[in-house]
Amino acid sequence: MKKYLQVLKITLQQEFAYRLNFIMWRVRNVMQVVLMFFLWSSVFSDPTKQFFGYDRTKILTYVFGILVIKAIVFSSRTIELSGIISDGTLGIYLLKPINFFKYWFTADMASKILNLSFSLVETAILFILLKPEIYFQSNPIYLLLFLLSLIIAVLLFFVTIFLINMFSFWAPEVGWALPFLFIVIVGDFLSGSVFPLDIFPRTFQNIFYSLPFPYLVFFPLQIYLGKISIPTTINGIVISLGWLIIFGVLVKYVWGKGLKKFSAEGI
Amino acid sequence: MKKKIKKYFKVWWLLTKNSFMSALSNRLGSFFFLLGKLIRFFIYMLFIVFLLKGTNSLAGYNLNQTMFFYLTFNLVDIISQFLFREVYRFRPQIIEGSFDLVLSKPINALFKSLLGGADLLDLFTIPPLIIALIFVSRGLNPSIFSVVLYILLIFNSLIIAASFHIFVLGLGIVTLEIDHTVMIYRDLANLGRFPIDIYKEPLKGVITFIIPIGTMMTLPAKTFMNLVSFNVVIMSFVVGGLFLFLSIKFWNFALTKYSSASS
Repeated sequence: MKKYLQVLKITLQQEFAYRLNFIMWRVRNVMQVVLMFFLWSSVFSDPTKQFFGYDRTKILTYVFGILVIKAIVFSSRTIELSGIISDGTLGIYLLKPINFFKYWFTADMASKILNLSFSLVETAILFILLKPEIYFQSNPIYLLLFLLSLIIAVLLFFVTIFLINMFSFWAPEVGWALPFLFIVIVGDFLSGSVFPLDIFPRTFQNIFYSLPFPYLVFFPLQIYLGKISIPTTINGIVISLGWLIIFGVLVKYVWGKGLKKFSAEGI
Repeated sequence: MKKKIKKYFKVWWLLTKNSFMSALSNRLGSFFFLLGKLIRFFIYMLFIVFLLKGTNSLAGYNLNQTMFFYLTFNLVDIISQFLFREVYRFRPQIIEGSFDLVLSKPINALFKSLLGGADLLDLFTIPPLIIALIFVSRGLNPSIFSVVLYILLIFNSLIIAASFHIFVLGLGIVTLEIDHTVMIYRDLANLGRFPIDIYKEPLKGVITFIIPIGTMMTLPAKTFMNLVSFNVVIMSFVVGGLFLFLSIKFWNFALTKYSSASS
């Protein structure tokens, strides 16, 4: 436990080493939220109107929720894994008396702590500047389920990003490509982190819900907003847990296969 | 002068060919890169369609008009990426000190850093985009004059985009701390993905004239739809010229700060 605490501390220090860079990264996140805030404000200029099952308060809460939930779920150091495999430095990690999975999960946690702290400050600043109407969920059952869905989302993202980064074992020169596609398609769209997925027709939504990705951002936010019933929420949690188990098993399997392929080239 | 232009075009063509061959040497990577861009483009398009089907209008614009704004944004964005791809590769040259090699060559360092490595992969996406623009524009009934102004304003947008990229290059020299300034520009440009009428003052004013994203992305489409006065069009050319002038001034200032570290 002590050594993972050290990993946490070191990762936090690493993130702070490039302060301006990190701040700029956060600025980028804020700008995306600003764009969506004004877009939806324009759509809901008449506060009495409802579109896609949202009123003005709920849609603006969704936009601000994206900023916080993305910081919790998507902040990750595991995305560096592909580079580590490609340039051979994985060998150095394997020699260390540390569990490789726990190491990266701890590094992810450090990144999440830092990003979450910043996102909360950003949310407060934007709240003062833009004065949005925000929906506060007061039902403890929904809040508890929201928390549970968030924990599953963090774990699901970890195993998913771990899995796709291992593509580098077989194609080191394009190891960045799958994570790139994942971030473009899943990170931006299928997770609901640019716009809520329920603006799409039912058929599309059914397809989305059968995939693991909406459970990263869209589903937790739906629970927080109380837009889905308790049975539907439990059903969603079961599906996301199913995906977590499937991906968890796959990570172990592919990791074993990948290690056999790994030749520490490049060191 | 004619000889100089010919020489620079020759150099540009050579650098573009090299850049394309380098992309081809990594076919799978290039394929994924292009695929990612296309998927992003189509998903945003779907978003606009379903959004406008549900709400009927966005800031007073119908589906056809919003789509035209979106396609115009993409046209400017993609041509900029095609022309100014080298900017994305600039920072490592400064960190490693290999920018010395650019400075010592008998061509303009700004030309090499800005235009020396056009991305032909982006070029392939431009013709279908223009066809889509023509298709959508049929429902907007523009006059010949509006079409001519639109084309001129697209050129003006590219001048503004070039200026932004020059600012990014200059910043890359002045400060070594930021490694994705160009991505911050991209995020700023993304504010023009939808008509800037969705923003409120003072942000709307700022992104129209101070950081002229609106002039770059929204104004050409609004002119095409006959929604702006001729004075505003003239003003936007002035903004474009001024922005280019300031960016070159900044580049010249930044060059004086280059320390040739690590070389």
